[in-house]
Amino acid sequence: MKHFTHSVVAIALISALAACGGSGSDSTPTPEADKTFSFTATEMVTNLTDDVIVAGYTDLAARGAALFASTQTLVATPSQANLVAVQEAWKAARQPWEQGESHIFGPVDSLGIDPHLDSWPLNTTDLTSVLSTTTGFDAETIKGWNDDVQGFHTMEYLLFGDGVTTNTKMIADLTANERDYLMGLAAVFRDYTEKLDDAWLISHDASTGKAYGELLKTPGTQDNTFYSSNVGVVEELIKGMIGIVDEVGNGKIADPFGADTSSADTSKVESQYSWNSLTDFSNNIIGVRNVYQGELAGAADKQGIVDFVAAADKDMAARVGTEISNAILTIQAIEGANKMPFRQAISDVEGRKRIQTAVDALSKLQTSLESDVLPLLKTWKV
Amino acid sequence: MIIKNNKINNTNIKLNIKVSALVIASVLSLSACGGSGDETTPTPEEKVYPSYTDITASGGDTTTFDASESGHGFSTPSPNLTAAELELHLEGDLGFETAFTTAPNDAHPELDGLGPVFNNTDCNSCHQRDGRNSTPQIAAGKTRIKLGSEAGIFLRISKAPDEPCLEGTAANNYCAPIAVPDFGDQLFHRGVLKARPDWEQNKFIGQADVYLSYETKAITYSDGSSVTLKKPLFDVENPYDAPGETKSSANVTSNLLQDDVLMGWRNGMPVFGLGLLEAIPEADIVAKVDSDDANNDGISGRANYVFDAVKAQAGDSNPVSLGRFGWKANTPSVRVQSLGALRGDIGITNPLFPDESIKGTSLHDHYLTRSGFVDTGAGIDGEPEADAEFSDSVVFYAETLAVPARRRVADADVREGARLFERLNCSGCHTPSFVTKASGDIGGAEMIAGHKSQTIYPFTDMLLHDMGEGLADGRPDFLADGSEWRTRPLWGIGLTKTVNPQAGFLHDGRAATLEEAILWHGGEAQQSTDDFMALNAAERAQVVDFLMSL
Repeated sequence: MKHFTHSVVAIALISALAACGGSGSDSTPTPEADKTFSFTATEMVTNLTDDVIVAGYTDLAARGAALFASTQTLVATPSQANLVAVQEAWKAARQPWEQGESHIFGPVDSLGIDPHLDSWPLNTTDLTSVLSTTTGFDAETIKGWNDDVQGFHTMEYLLFGDGVTTNTKMIADLTANERDYLMGLAAVFRDYTEKLDDAWLISHDASTGKAYGELLKTPGTQDNTFYSSNVGVVEELIKGMIGIVDEVGNGKIADPFGADTSSADTSKVESQYSWNSLTDFSNNIIGVRNVYQGELAGAADKQGIVDFVAAADKDMAARVGTEISNAILTIQAIEGANKMPFRQAISDVEGRKRIQTAVDALSKLQTSLESDVLPLLKTWKV
Repeated sequence: MIIKNNKINNTNIKLNIKVSALVIASVLSLSACGGSGDETTPTPEEKVYPSYTDITASGGDTTTFDASESGHGFSTPSPNLTAAELELHLEGDLGFETAFTTAPNDAHPELDGLGPVFNNTDCNSCHQRDGRNSTPQIAAGKTRIKLGSEAGIFLRISKAPDEPCLEGTAANNYCAPIAVPDFGDQLFHRGVLKARPDWEQNKFIGQADVYLSYETKAITYSDGSSVTLKKPLFDVENPYDAPGETKSSANVTSNLLQDDVLMGWRNGMPVFGLGLLEAIPEADIVAKVDSDDANNDGISGRANYVFDAVKAQAGDSNPVSLGRFGWKANTPSVRVQSLGALRGDIGITNPLFPDESIKGTSLHDHYLTRSGFVDTGAGIDGEPEADAEFSDSVVFYAETLAVPARRRVADADVREGARLFERLNCSGCHTPSFVTKASGDIGGAEMIAGHKSQTIYPFTDMLLHDMGEGLADGRPDFLADGSEWRTRPLWGIGLTKTVNPQAGFLHDGRAATLEEAILWHGGEAQQSTDDFMALNAAERAQVVDFLMSL
């Protein structure tokens, strides 16, 4: 499971706070002020489900359909312009997906959609063999293949340059068979993104189960064995935020970054062919901001986790909001004045300084979420 | 089907409530942590609650209270790990999520070695969020589903023995399941691109295609309400040694499709709390063995004794240990279970299991010849595909995941459910509590301090029980016969669908709900099931409420 690099201090703190497994009243009176707080979470959970999570998945499904349509156009009329259109459609689909990684629980996991769409690294050996031994790629056949020859990054590999010196690709370098494969992959992608959206809106198991969104909004009701109360839902949302902050800082960035320039490993850079890495990373944290603030960028203000935090501590709520914004800005600043891709920045002295600044900002945010925000579940008078 | 020798007499169940007034008093005083709180007005019949009713820290000091409400409930490091132990745990966490690829992988040699045939590419796919795998759903308009990358379920296979194996010796391979010639003891339905001789027609296909379908039956309570139970069936087709063949082919030639090949589904299990289960003193488990039902309670727990690869590797002349893990208690330790799965389910050789699981089969020989011997199970250095560091960290991870704290223990329905759980004698097999040993090894390595002398509440006796015809797969496994299953721990079971909304219960995921799981209990549990069915709807719900609190 996605792990959190809990500091020992954080664990000790959480453990100590958890001594009695609930918000209950302290049996030994102390002179300390009562730190419990009240917050009715129903509106927040409903809003986050409908206007953030489901809205994001509906957007993803629409962009998945648009990506497939763009590949159909490319197959019908191979041209540089149509290739560029597919590249843009790929980047467009990447945005809601990466933002959605801040809440990667439920059907995206249980239906196995995450590995279908976003397996990394690729299996370029098998990919080459598949292309040289197959003609006519239908979606159902591809779905039976391994995840490391389908999804976002296989499409990226076909669509863009090698990522080393360029991310551009000429239409002359994309064979007819590769275009067919691309269209098959995009059809599979469209199907899975639609399935994910349907799981939240219609049936979580694509069968007789209820819509996952409805189940998330009604914890503790009869026959709802997913969450016993809003405490579980809020815990899930906060842990989701912590999870992606940890993964970006300590995984996606740290793994290729290495200890120094000599140990930087470009092969571990996500979205390296398209040079979309920094956009991916910042979208991950924008996804955190979506859950925290309660609305997608530009939408009207609605309740998010910030309101839960503010009910306990307004200063903390503002501080964490600032830390999220700072994490996004420092990731975006990694490219520097000369728009350096992340793949190159890890081997560049000045680039590495900018990366370290972003890592520090992510680390600070993670500590706040783990040590300040998460423990609020213990003082919340449900 | 193998018939058991010792028939169980189900007629004389004695309720096993060992709660005295003294215990009640102690329970009430235990309520400091979310306990029972106010006593209700005494009723004419004083209700007696079992001693575990108000317990919250199911895993002792390893219990997590900060993730016990969400889908992270099975995925949290034990809070009592040292800094160094936590670091190793987190390293193992990465290993648990590592998806392996076909060899050779020049860019990422540390990731290659997948297969060549396998069930999934990483641990997490069968233990989603460290819990159970998703239950396959058949699409509308279809009657069956072909298992692919989404499947965390697979088939164990073996040849039917001529007679039951009663005592393991070197001569009889310690009563291990008899491998199907040219296949083995597990059916790998997936493969690397070129796994099969006919790979161009069967890309990414393993030893055979496996299809899952369901049959259903209705169970009706005396109040007229009913529950539909489903049972997964399998069809195995297109084996590599006879492409296109099925069981109904005119002339069945495949080794896999012979009539004496036994097959049974196996689901992935949750992986938290395993180090604690391994730290239960063997004597305490064996003390509960009652092979001939001497106490006449209808329950006859038996111990499985299994081949222990750790002992064998250490040169032990009798490499046999008490079986603790797996659906039939067929592995002795987390180490053997984890590294056996790494080598089997994923196809990654490791220091404990350095040979590919299909070594010596014609599939493997053909594959190696065709692929130029680049994926032999050993790297260019001659070492296994996963090194000791990776292997040890993954084992440690599985040993040290925290047990989620119980929830809603003060809820009146939960408390009534605990009382009924005891009254139905569910605890006859689902032993509530053990104390782990104070010193010693687990899996061939010294146990960590955090596992020592812990009072734990796993609700399992770790023994085998005949669960009746309905659950039987007819496939013996070491000393376990075809009807016996190891008692599943119940701790954390209420979080199952929080962790994975599509998870199912029992060895093949057939039960979508805890109520369904109870209703499948037959054999030694038949009396408890009958008594459950005799409860009214509110009481049945209370039993489930208690289970959901665990």
